[in-house]
Amino acid sequence: MAVVEQPQTNTTPRAEVASLNQYVKGESLWQDAWKRLRRNKPAILGLAVILAWIIIAIMASSLAPKPFDIQVLADNNAAPRWVIDLFPQMIAKDDGGYVTVSTNYPLGADNLGRDLLSRVIYGARVSLAVAFIGPMTALIVGLGVGLLAGYVGGRVDNALMRIVDLMYAFPTLLFVILLMTFFRTSFSNPPPGSLAAALGSLDAGSGGMLFIFIGIGLTSWMGMARLARGQVLSVREKEYIEAARALGGKNRRIVWSHVLPNILGPIIVSETLTIPSYISTEAFLSFIGLGVNPPTPSWGMMIAEGSRSIGSYPHQALFPALALFSVMFAFNFLGDGLRDALDPRMRGVD
Amino acid sequence: MNKGKYLGLVMVLAMTLTLIVGVSAQEMKVIHTGVGMVGGDPESIDPNLNEASQGNNIIRTMYIGLTTQDEETGDVVPGLATDWSQSEDGLTWTFNMIHDIPWAKYNADTDTVEQVMDEAGNPRYVTANDVVYSWKRVLDPATASTYAYVPAEFVVNGTAVMAGEASVDDLAVKAVDDYTFEITAPEAVGFATNIYGLWMVNPVPQWAIEECGDSWTEADCMPSYGPFVLKDWSHDESITVVKNPFWPGTDYVPQAQADEVVFHFLDPQTQFAEYQADTLDAINPPIEELDRIKSDAVLSQELSIGTNPCTYYIGINAEKPVVGESVHLRRALSYAVDRQSIVDNVTKGGQIPAQWFSRPGLNAAPTLETNPDLGAKFDVAKAQEELTLALDELGVASAADIPTITLAYNDSSGHAAIMQAIQQMWSTELGITVQLDPRDPSTYFSSLSEDAPQLYRSGWCQDYPDADNFLRGVFRSDSQQNDPNFVNADFDALVDEARLATDTEERRALYAQAEEILSVDQVGMIPIYWYTAVQMTKPYIERTYSVVNREAYENWNITQ
Repeated sequence: MAVVEQPQTNTTPRAEVASLNQYVKGESLWQDAWKRLRRNKPAILGLAVILAWIIIAIMASSLAPKPFDIQVLADNNAAPRWVIDLFPQMIAKDDGGYVTVSTNYPLGADNLGRDLLSRVIYGARVSLAVAFIGPMTALIVGLGVGLLAGYVGGRVDNALMRIVDLMYAFPTLLFVILLMTFFRTSFSNPPPGSLAAALGSLDAGSGGMLFIFIGIGLTSWMGMARLARGQVLSVREKEYIEAARALGGKNRRIVWSHVLPNILGPIIVSETLTIPSYISTEAFLSFIGLGVNPPTPSWGMMIAEGSRSIGSYPHQALFPALALFSVMFAFNFLGDGLRDALDPRMRGVD
Repeated sequence: MNKGKYLGLVMVLAMTLTLIVGVSAQEMKVIHTGVGMVGGDPESIDPNLNEASQGNNIIRTMYIGLTTQDEETGDVVPGLATDWSQSEDGLTWTFNMIHDIPWAKYNADTDTVEQVMDEAGNPRYVTANDVVYSWKRVLDPATASTYAYVPAEFVVNGTAVMAGEASVDDLAVKAVDDYTFEITAPEAVGFATNIYGLWMVNPVPQWAIEECGDSWTEADCMPSYGPFVLKDWSHDESITVVKNPFWPGTDYVPQAQADEVVFHFLDPQTQFAEYQADTLDAINPPIEELDRIKSDAVLSQELSIGTNPCTYYIGINAEKPVVGESVHLRRALSYAVDRQSIVDNVTKGGQIPAQWFSRPGLNAAPTLETNPDLGAKFDVAKAQEELTLALDELGVASAADIPTITLAYNDSSGHAAIMQAIQQMWSTELGITVQLDPRDPSTYFSSLSEDAPQLYRSGWCQDYPDADNFLRGVFRSDSQQNDPNFVNADFDALVDEARLATDTEERRALYAQAEEILSVDQVGMIPIYWYTAVQMTKPYIERTYSVVNREAYENWNITQ
């Protein structure tokens, strides 16, 4: 747990302390963590990659050379020369092969003549939105439930944790698949004017992302609730909480100012390490056709489409796969780095 | 020394065994095929119940109808019947069946195909009674055969029995003697002999069905009489049929040349991988790999593009909002689809851009030679003209104000690409944004029957080679297949008249008028393309190519 700096005993005169302070600057836990994180090269690399992807996702419309949905059917499966040279089995039409050579597409075009690079860039939006939404629901719902259960205890704790147990009993992936299938069937043909119709059109407007968010959100908070509750339970009995209580601190103040800051470290670490699983859940759903609606690009869907022609055009699956791979690795490296930085006791332990 | 003696004996024994096994393995000709198969089990291989082409390909190897289709011309030829005659009023048909064709069954213990004996120890033969039983079983509402409505119209009381208003004993089917089958139809229809040979009225074994119940199509129960007999059904994986030595062979359905045929249930991508690994001998290659296959010196030689009597289209539910409200909108959507571009750039299998519904080549169907200008063609100017009218009709200011339209499709093989291409065409040519709704393939078609969405992708293949099977079968207002709720009295009258007419050219003219109503005047569907059969076959397979969407595996052989 966080190292709490004990105040020096009164044996040293105040003046002396003041003079010492001129040379030793006080360091907060966060400054200390940042310092440790900075020394961790893979973590900083991960952070840089994530920031880069965030910028790409936000600026997609100005960065992408073409809109993601414009098809030039005649240019289907076209590829630039360097991509053709990369794969021995790809042979250009000029050399008696089958690949249309085109310089219009930096990474080539897909089977409908859409620019692969633009689709990879726009695909970042879906993956990063999921990387944001998953932890958000986990933090809001999961942390809330965990704090409440852990701090209040007793019956409330019991009831909340049984709900969490119940939700935990479903295998996550299966649960998400069931949810998505349910959404698809029940919102595909709703009576006009109903809530279902409103949700359905919202989902359609977001290219099918809304239901993915709901699906991932519904399954993302249970782990967080358990973790937060456990942390609260261990912190609740600590001396400084007792002291705060003895000094007449209100519950709200104790939770916000004393409990929460002290459990935040492990929570951030665990959430960062879970982000890749949200991203892969989305990619998986899109891969099996339960994710975003075409033509909205998602890396998972692009990999699925590309894998169908992997014998002829391996690059169509490779580029989105590389993008997915880089983001997953970046979040894992950053998560590891954060763990080392925020939770020194865990250092070197796996 | 003794040891050495025994060792020698053992070695001799082992060598003899290897020799026996080696010889038999060499002689066994096993064909592994994926043609016409998809990932997962066929719905059924019960002739009375099956309604999909996957099951049909398998049933065709084991069961032969009274009549059958010539695989190269699609014409009606003798199957289990040697000949037939029609009464003077044209209503009653009498079929003379081949004598003494035994029911046969695979015995797993002896690994041989055996004749089936009755309780008295006599061989069971395929008789007219089996045909009568099949007719009663398929039309019995308790059997719940979804395709029963096709033969029902070709036997007196058929539709009444299906509706539960008459007993199966009222059906006008009769076994005059063991090998003479007589049937009376309510109307004289020219292509009735086609219907009497369809798989859903193939003779089926009453005794086996009564003994095994619903599981009679499993390998331990199912007998058959055609060129092959069921050997094994590994569910969701493969079906193996083994040569039936008791099938005598006819001019049109000879004895099987191969010893076994194994049907593998795989999607095209996996089929292609297995084909390249030499574990499959014949496949439908994935469209995504066709470019490479065509340019490859070896693979291109193994590729064949043949006829397939099917039509790819987008159905329009006339009872749904927006698309149901404006015929001009439907026309605009139809004119704005560049079919040639789809065929050239997306499907790439030599498909023919479709202008109407019934596949040319079917009996009495219009052809591109007889009616080059019939139906709907890609025409941007006309599409935009119709769009202007549609905006008035719908009372909206611009195409962007048209309420959301949904286009549903079964999310398998290449449909997603074709649907996205069409979505894009509508958006560029008309400014109409259509929402795509990919659905689970396994439940897709049943979901259409329940409640078809505004627009939906579909395909239709021939059951019998006549335009009637397409136009009247799908779009007549009371047809069970009429998912889009297409209703037009003139259309109904035309297809009814064409059904009973006898002169082919006269019928073709009537069907052309009906097609004009279906694809232009009222627009019940948007034709996209006419299918081709894209297959790859290993060079060591000697085979024929069927034009009727059912391969005749008895003609296939392995030459090395």
